[in-house]
Amino acid sequence: MIADIITPQAKHFAEGVQSVLRGHENRSRRVVLLKGNLVQNARSESRGISARVTKNGRYGFSSVASYTEKDEETVLKAATENALFLDQRGASPRRTYPALSGGTAPAPRAITDTEQKRLIDVCQEIDNYVNTKYPDLLSRTVVYTEDSQDKIILASDAAGGHVTYPRCYIYVMMSAESKSGAPVELFKAFGGAGGFDDHFTDLSAIWPGIDELHSRLMDKKEGVYAEAGNKTVILGGMMGGMLAHEAVGHTVEADLVLGGSVAGPNLHKPVASEMVTLVDFAGEAFGRPTPLPVYLDDEGTLAKDAVLIQDGILTGYMNNRETAAHFGTEPCGNARAWDFNDEPLIRMRNTCILPGKNTLDEMIASIDDGYYLIDSSNGQADLTGEFMFGVSLGYEIKHGKLGKALLDTTVSGIAFDMLKTVDMLSDKVVWSSSGFCGKKQPMPVGMGGPDMRCRITIGGR
Amino acid sequence: MYDIKQISRKLDALLKEKGAAVYEHCVSESEKQELNTEKADFNLFRTIFDNGVSVTVIQDGKKGSASGNDLSDEGLEKVVSDALLGAASSVEDEANAIAERQEPEVFQSGCWDADMPRFYDGLKAMMDTMARDYPKVNPMMLIGDHTRYHVYYVNSNGTCFENRNGLYHVGIEMSGSDGEKNTGLDYTGFCTTDLDTPLISQGSMKQHMEATEASLNSVPLPGKFEGTVIFTPDCLGEFMYMLAGNYIMGGVIMNGTSQWLDKVGQQVASEKITVSLKAEDSRIADLQPFTGDGYKAENVTVIDKGVLNCFLLNLYAARKTGRPVTKNTSFAMVIENGDTPLQDMIASVDKGLIVGGFSGGEPGANGEFSGVAKNSFYVENGKIVGAVTETMINGNLEQVFKNVIAVSKEQVCNGGSVLPWMACSGIVISGK
Repeated sequence: MIADIITPQAKHFAEGVQSVLRGHENRSRRVVLLKGNLVQNARSESRGISARVTKNGRYGFSSVASYTEKDEETVLKAATENALFLDQRGASPRRTYPALSGGTAPAPRAITDTEQKRLIDVCQEIDNYVNTKYPDLLSRTVVYTEDSQDKIILASDAAGGHVTYPRCYIYVMMSAESKSGAPVELFKAFGGAGGFDDHFTDLSAIWPGIDELHSRLMDKKEGVYAEAGNKTVILGGMMGGMLAHEAVGHTVEADLVLGGSVAGPNLHKPVASEMVTLVDFAGEAFGRPTPLPVYLDDEGTLAKDAVLIQDGILTGYMNNRETAAHFGTEPCGNARAWDFNDEPLIRMRNTCILPGKNTLDEMIASIDDGYYLIDSSNGQADLTGEFMFGVSLGYEIKHGKLGKALLDTTVSGIAFDMLKTVDMLSDKVVWSSSGFCGKKQPMPVGMGGPDMRCRITIGGR
Repeated sequence: MYDIKQISRKLDALLKEKGAAVYEHCVSESEKQELNTEKADFNLFRTIFDNGVSVTVIQDGKKGSASGNDLSDEGLEKVVSDALLGAASSVEDEANAIAERQEPEVFQSGCWDADMPRFYDGLKAMMDTMARDYPKVNPMMLIGDHTRYHVYYVNSNGTCFENRNGLYHVGIEMSGSDGEKNTGLDYTGFCTTDLDTPLISQGSMKQHMEATEASLNSVPLPGKFEGTVIFTPDCLGEFMYMLAGNYIMGGVIMNGTSQWLDKVGQQVASEKITVSLKAEDSRIADLQPFTGDGYKAENVTVIDKGVLNCFLLNLYAARKTGRPVTKNTSFAMVIENGDTPLQDMIASVDKGLIVGGFSGGEPGANGEFSGVAKNSFYVENGKIVGAVTETMINGNLEQVFKNVIAVSKEQVCNGGSVLPWMACSGIVISGK
């Protein structure tokens, strides 16, 4: 982990500006076995120092790819010059934001390193398991991926601290030949926040997940195309999380609200069924650490939960310090940067639709003709709330029972319209945290939700 | 600034000292100056200095790679040790190799020195023109940067390439608004060395602004029908990238899921389609002079009048599959133009869509795709009727490129690729 050479540098902060200094190291480890062939075996580290200086609401930012006391002076000077460059040319005043109370984030979690050989060994063990037990597959891939962020943040007018964000996953991907001769694929991610030893010292917990993945792939091999149209469906927790993130979350990021998102004119109005409450959690949710806990953001704001929809009413946005001042609210710690040379942007943390009271069985039994959509390959949404998710795993529901598996399809809709059709929520939340959100920079995010009965447009063939 | 040749020599000495015999390494440094605006007002100016060092070692057929950005002696020592440890932990594979020796060469392109005050003025002029000519278009975020990088690649067979490149990049996210009417998000961008030509006239900036304004007038598209789709150049690039990922690139050739495994030399697309990756093309500013594997890049025609010439295979994938290596791993893509003027192409459509963007699930290995048509317009009896929302398109990637009706005479160059409009039949279009 990086040494704290940042904190003593407060003396270099200039008067009359707002400054944040960040020491930052990202690490990644990656092993890829494709059909048993080791096609990637790589380790990477990047480290540097950045400064952001704000003058009359205009930001100057600079970073260098090294980590010494001298570098801190360099970036502060360059960032100040950049802020002045814009301030001198700016035609009209911009929004400014007030100082925050100070404070220190909780002590960081340890980032542990694991020998590359152990990473390869565990991937080979999983690959051997899959290959031995399921030799009928067309292809198999096992990926170990680990990334961690280690940051020391010092702000001239806010909180600071040393924070870390380690996470690691193993992806298992399988493909098989369908009855038409074309391949079908599925994948599953194992792991979460923390290091290798937190998740992969005992693989016995993984085998049932792999067996389930294969079983579902065999279902999909015999799968059918969904019938296109507006249907009653149950979105599984993974899909609900994707909806919370893509279709609603992005539209309530305050920078996109100011850019004209559909959330702007809908604040304090009903945007969903009264059953729906949506929260962007920081460090804890439901009495446990969130999938990717965040305690301090990169502007020096101590993190707290942001309630976005309460009982169907849009109650707030996710902000940075500047937009929080604009909307007359307090920032909750959503300004985050991915790499040492990235500026903080408004990002989600752990966005989740809260659970309801139904069981999944009750929900399936309630549908005469519809679909249970379990997992998503990807998703995108627009400022208007128009969204699209790829559906990689789903089943028909016929007469209250699960039917045939579905081939890959897509669902789409307008988030605030679709959320008003939610009429049942299951009592269990499923989280996912292995992906990256993309918005100029990548960012690890958690997303979750319960099973959700609603109406949605599904694409057929 | 570092002397990256000197650092490269240090790396060489370190690798030899530690007993590495087969290796390649790359040292780089870069500087980016980036201007950001929010709603046509400059709000952020970034200056970023970055470095890179990557080392790959092959010991007894076992490969390890490590990378970082610390160019100090300690940093170099660590990246070499990590690569060697990685190789020692690895699995023997006779496909692991480095490129054979090629003559050392120095490449230089673009504009090395940034003129940021002039670039600032150019971006400001672009926003002023937008406000005047496209008042209903909201430039949510405009980012312009000048990035220059200096790279030094060496392998143990004696290949040594050096490249210096500097380019301006412009990217914009925009939406349309008119009273209570709002459009979705649109994005476009380009790279250039040209600050003389107004920035708004480069790439497909004007087409996107016109389309965004026109998107304010949406029309309902009820029902479902099979029709003609005209892909805009930007959207065609997206589809070509998906096609490559599904049928042509190394991963799907190695794992055997490509449906074109035995199709080299055969007709896989309409004879109207010729696709090349360029190493030299005066229209493209962002060219890659050498590949990540250490091959001097060449112009590669991937599909020639519909016939598949080759797959896109790096050295490992080529050796693994017993096929030739592709000496171009960039996406500096040119799709040859056709002889149909765009207006004639639109006039020939009975019922269909002009599709400017696609928001869809990644196509399955079978090539089936479905997703939302973004920034798209309904065409009926040869005339553009209006913009559509909540409209999905479904089809098969392979069939899209087989069922080509026409390729436009016009092309758009965004500094990274040169692409035409393309019309094809047989796509299922579903309204709400």
